[in-house]
Amino acid sequence: MRYLKLIKVFIKTSAQETLMYRANFWVSLLHAFLNLIVAVLALVILFGQTENLNGWNLSSTLSLLGVYLIVSAIRNLFIGPSLEALVGLGQEVWNGQFDFTLLRPVNTQFLITFRIWRLFSLIDLFLGGAVLLYSIFQTPQSPNLLAWLLFLLALVAGILILYAILLAFTALVFWNPGYLFTWVFDAIFQLARYPLGIYPVGVRIFLTWIIPVGVITTIPAQVISGQTGAPIVFLILAASVFLFLFASWLFNKGIKQYHSASS
Amino acid sequence: MQFSKIEVKQLHKTYHVPQREAGFKASVRSLFRPIYQDVPAVKPLDFVIESGEMVALIGPNGAGKTTTLKMLTGLLHPSGGDINIFGFNPSERKPAFLRSISMVLGNKSQMLWDIPPLDSFFVLAEIYSIPKEEAVSRINELVEMLEMREILKKPVRNLSLGERMKCELVASLLHRPKVLFLDEPTLGLDINIQNRLRHFILEYNHRYGATVLLTSHYMADIERLCSRVLLIHHGELLYDGQLSGLNQMIEPIKMIRVTLSQQNGVNPKPDWLPASAEIVSQEKQHLHLRVAQKEAAACTAALLHNLPVADLIVEDPPLETVIDRIYQDGDL
Repeated sequence: MRYLKLIKVFIKTSAQETLMYRANFWVSLLHAFLNLIVAVLALVILFGQTENLNGWNLSSTLSLLGVYLIVSAIRNLFIGPSLEALVGLGQEVWNGQFDFTLLRPVNTQFLITFRIWRLFSLIDLFLGGAVLLYSIFQTPQSPNLLAWLLFLLALVAGILILYAILLAFTALVFWNPGYLFTWVFDAIFQLARYPLGIYPVGVRIFLTWIIPVGVITTIPAQVISGQTGAPIVFLILAASVFLFLFASWLFNKGIKQYHSASS
Repeated sequence: MQFSKIEVKQLHKTYHVPQREAGFKASVRSLFRPIYQDVPAVKPLDFVIESGEMVALIGPNGAGKTTTLKMLTGLLHPSGGDINIFGFNPSERKPAFLRSISMVLGNKSQMLWDIPPLDSFFVLAEIYSIPKEEAVSRINELVEMLEMREILKKPVRNLSLGERMKCELVASLLHRPKVLFLDEPTLGLDINIQNRLRHFILEYNHRYGATVLLTSHYMADIERLCSRVLLIHHGELLYDGQLSGLNQMIEPIKMIRVTLSQQNGVNPKPDWLPASAEIVSQEKQHLHLRVAQKEAAACTAALLHNLPVADLIVEDPPLETVIDRIYQDGDL
């Protein structure tokens, strides 16, 4: 309850900060639409050449794009900005500002996860939801309640996996404050735009087992289009919990490494 | 009985730092084969601070003051030794411990830059679970004490350094910490603001009985606020006691100020002065000397005998001079 109230305060404060730079709203709106148009256009061109790509057609690939947009919108809404405040040159861990975060009588991991909100990402969230719904209405057989439920579970698992990966990358900053680990991750995450199935075997294995970004979007999209069912969903749910626990452990170990910056 | 003091036993910290020579080549080499060196930042320290005491931690740059403060607040893990602050071990960072302490860093800000300070205060009130009404009354009280009502609604980025430091103090004291750690709180501020902040810290200490541990390079901070000092040099505790007793650390000296009745050039080392006497400065009719305490009387007599003295004052050396000599002599 107390933590929910805190999240509310963080959202309110972030909104206030955002409103100081109102012009950014239009920039974000433009960016969101351009992003969407380019992505949809790429798919339309692709499926103009072929109807089926390793079992994926236009509407199921659109579902996947919808999931990708939703997941990245949630990432950009709070996980990304909050974690990015720690990492990189001139950022909290590097300049010692992290001292104040550590001094708060609130769970540190909670604080660094929910502190900063980029509310413009709600535009992306909305657009992603629209793409997903559109693609579902395109399919002849609409999903039943169970499919929706499994989809939500898969989506939660996907977001949890994404969070765990980002947190683990962030934790590495404590061993070397100037590193830019998350940039590497961004490049890899782009690959989650498309179904895992279209990649060569080697890439597929990498995106499933090494840095499991493929799983984050592919599984929920498969669930909603009826390509996969409950067992897989529970498998990735279990995997996501495991990754979350591992990343939290790594982060808390990292805090003990923290050297602060001299004054 | 509740443990109500700060107790530090054999506390020490060694940093494991990468070594690198200057130049681009060395930078590239260290990318592949970093070399580390162990640097002892704080050597085993022991001290006790009673509840409500105001103590200064002093020493030259790099002496280990900030490292000590950061271990006491739980930000850094000690390499060894024990810390007990009001019954807590800081390294555990228990919420109850974090609620009872606060830290002000003169060179870092905990405020949110894009919004007015008042909003930052309310975020902190939520973090420390202070009910809204209580938060408002505490903010009002602190704002009155610091005379800063007019800046509450301006974005922090538009405030001056002094105004920001006032905000930092409110932010740090909102949850009424029992122990306050101040690291260079008056750094870079003008005299007027420095005085106001000192007055404020004293008043806060009286009102709430807070224990204060302070580091500062301004002797005025220390003379005004702290009756007791801990002097650290090269990570070692050289002195723990009354501020006034610091003079005894070095060979005790006296300062003599002489005003002559007529301008009269005195050569820099006249042979009639006792051996330990030294002319520090000489300007028109004013002469300023330093002499070992045991030769002060002889020196005074020699001055009166050899020069047309209009006025003569013998005084204790200013604290800066004493501390400067301790820093220079190093291992006493």
